[in-house]
Amino acid sequence: MCVGDYLDQLENQSIYIIREAKAQFKKPAMLWSMGKDSTTLLWLCRKAFYGKVPFPVIHIDTGRKFPEMYEFRDKWVRKWGLNLIIARNEEALKSGMGPEKGKLACCTALKTQALQIAMKKHGFDALLLAIRRDEHGIRAKERYFSLRDANFRWDYRDQPLEMWDQYEKASEEATHTRVHPMLHWREIDIWRYIKREGIPVNPMYFARNGKRYRSLGCMPCTNPIDSNADTIDKIIEELERTKTAERAGRAQDKEQAFMMQKLRALGYM
Amino acid sequence: MESVNVVFVGHVDHGKSTTIGRLLYDGESVTDDRVEEIQKYAEELKRRFEFAYFLDALEEERKEQMTIESTRVFFKGKNRLYTIIDSPGHKEFLKNMLTGASQADAAIVIVSAQEGIEEQTRRHVFLLKLLGIEHLVVAVNKMDAVRYQKEPFERIHNAMKEFLDSLGFDLDKISFVPISAIEGENVYRRSTKMPWAKKTLIEALDAIPIKSRELDKPLRFVVQDVYEVDGEKIVVGRVESGVLRKGAKGVFEPSGRPAIVQQIRVYEGERSEAKPGECVGVISSVIPRRGEVFGLAESPPKKVTEIKGEVVLLLDRLRKNETIVVKCGTAAVPARVQNILEKIDTETGAIVEKQPSVVDINEAALMVLSLREPMVVERYPDIPELGRFVIMKNGKNIGAGVALEVSS
Repeated sequence: MCVGDYLDQLENQSIYIIREAKAQFKKPAMLWSMGKDSTTLLWLCRKAFYGKVPFPVIHIDTGRKFPEMYEFRDKWVRKWGLNLIIARNEEALKSGMGPEKGKLACCTALKTQALQIAMKKHGFDALLLAIRRDEHGIRAKERYFSLRDANFRWDYRDQPLEMWDQYEKASEEATHTRVHPMLHWREIDIWRYIKREGIPVNPMYFARNGKRYRSLGCMPCTNPIDSNADTIDKIIEELERTKTAERAGRAQDKEQAFMMQKLRALGYM
Repeated sequence: MESVNVVFVGHVDHGKSTTIGRLLYDGESVTDDRVEEIQKYAEELKRRFEFAYFLDALEEERKEQMTIESTRVFFKGKNRLYTIIDSPGHKEFLKNMLTGASQADAAIVIVSAQEGIEEQTRRHVFLLKLLGIEHLVVAVNKMDAVRYQKEPFERIHNAMKEFLDSLGFDLDKISFVPISAIEGENVYRRSTKMPWAKKTLIEALDAIPIKSRELDKPLRFVVQDVYEVDGEKIVVGRVESGVLRKGAKGVFEPSGRPAIVQQIRVYEGERSEAKPGECVGVISSVIPRRGEVFGLAESPPKKVTEIKGEVVLLLDRLRKNETIVVKCGTAAVPARVQNILEKIDTETGAIVEKQPSVVDINEAALMVLSLREPMVVERYPDIPELGRFVIMKNGKNIGAGVALEVSS
């Protein structure tokens, strides 16, 4: 590739995939958790479509997100004119589902099932997600277009042949295709791009009183890390040195061996 | 910083994952909790700490001690960032190897000093040639098992050279290094046990020149879609080769409609030109359809109805006269397998059968595809980005090919 700048390469590849998703699917939507990755994906979608995102943006609301995340969401929905869909598993929330009942059960009910309910209601055939290969070993196995069966399951043992940007769409028996336009980005690339582009980020990523959030999830299951990085430059500097994993503060990855693999096989992001 | 995609190939158990694990560990590219997690896991199972576990994330992969899916990890060279794609060694996982290798700029071929060149070594190297990957580093691994002797290395070196030469590789673009991944000899640091080794694996990697897409190739702009923004139609797509310039006069193929590039648009505003790899929008005097390709009037895109190409099948077999779909660029056109000229052994590259009636999974063939309607396909040596195609059957990508001759 001749594009000199590395970030330009990443951006162009993502925009190509986002536009392929729009061209190939009848009813796509994207997932937005208000975290740095999905906000960057949203930014790339705005660029791909010249400012106006042509599909709905889904927020999976577990009711246990940080107040700052809801504030951030509502502000940018207004400013960017987004079509926001809030996905909640009301039944599970009413019955008092929470991490006390087991993290696998909680994530599955409040995230995976909430998403399933919304997908069914709206009939989306593709879902754009901001997952990256470097986040977790199991996510490294993903394709740009990844098929999900009727039960949302991902068959990682039998993935399609994906060469030369020729992606495979889900067939009839599958419910939908997951599209991963940012699979090739790294955590540090995200921050360098956020800096270059001036993408808004949730203030919780910046250090306050010696702590900051490196990855954002639900309140009960997300822990801040020790850090004094209170600017984007300092976060980039910290990432250049760190030897700790990005999702170290995310409890659902850790409860049991291969937790993430089990979650993802059940339809988790 | 330069960014290079490298793929690791080789026969099962010759140590691909271990070599990458060693590179990551010695290069300090692995996070602490990953090392801890793996140590804990190895203790639980009373197994030796395995470098391969850095890559093998799936439960069953660890149990079976092999890498099923192409995995990607990032890794720093001296002045470069490598994306390392680990490829599986089992025959049935060739599709994963190709999925990974199709994105690679260079390849590292791991050959065990004990076992030497085996079936998968040859098969993978053949496929690398088909994919157009020219730069290889052949790492002769498990040198510890042959007491770091020069002789077994030399033997494999010579046999490999002969094989690569027979496939048509340019030997100047290929280097050979002896390593012991398990002991860390000559991978990241120079080995005192092999003072005769000319360079380490990382040095060999860093010496691979980066292929840059040539700007002087004919312009090819592939249309992805047409958007309406504020009442204006924007043709979006990607420049695959050459340079797209404002004011360019050319033609969209296969419709054959002449057009002028009035403006080049990105989200931020107007641009005067766009280079290969760039996704831009064009305000054009005519509105093409998805799948069309724009080129300059003096070197228009090739509109073809027949492709003679080398095809490898990975997920399904193909019979003569069968109907398939050929996908190239953003176009997808139904086609018929008009003739299967030769079946090629993917292990040796040799022609094993003339005029076969069927080609099986994991086999390659030289075949003629006749397209139901015209599409743009270039000869692979001319413009690789539009000279390679994927074959779809019953909605599934089943194989891939490169066009050697095209005609209308």
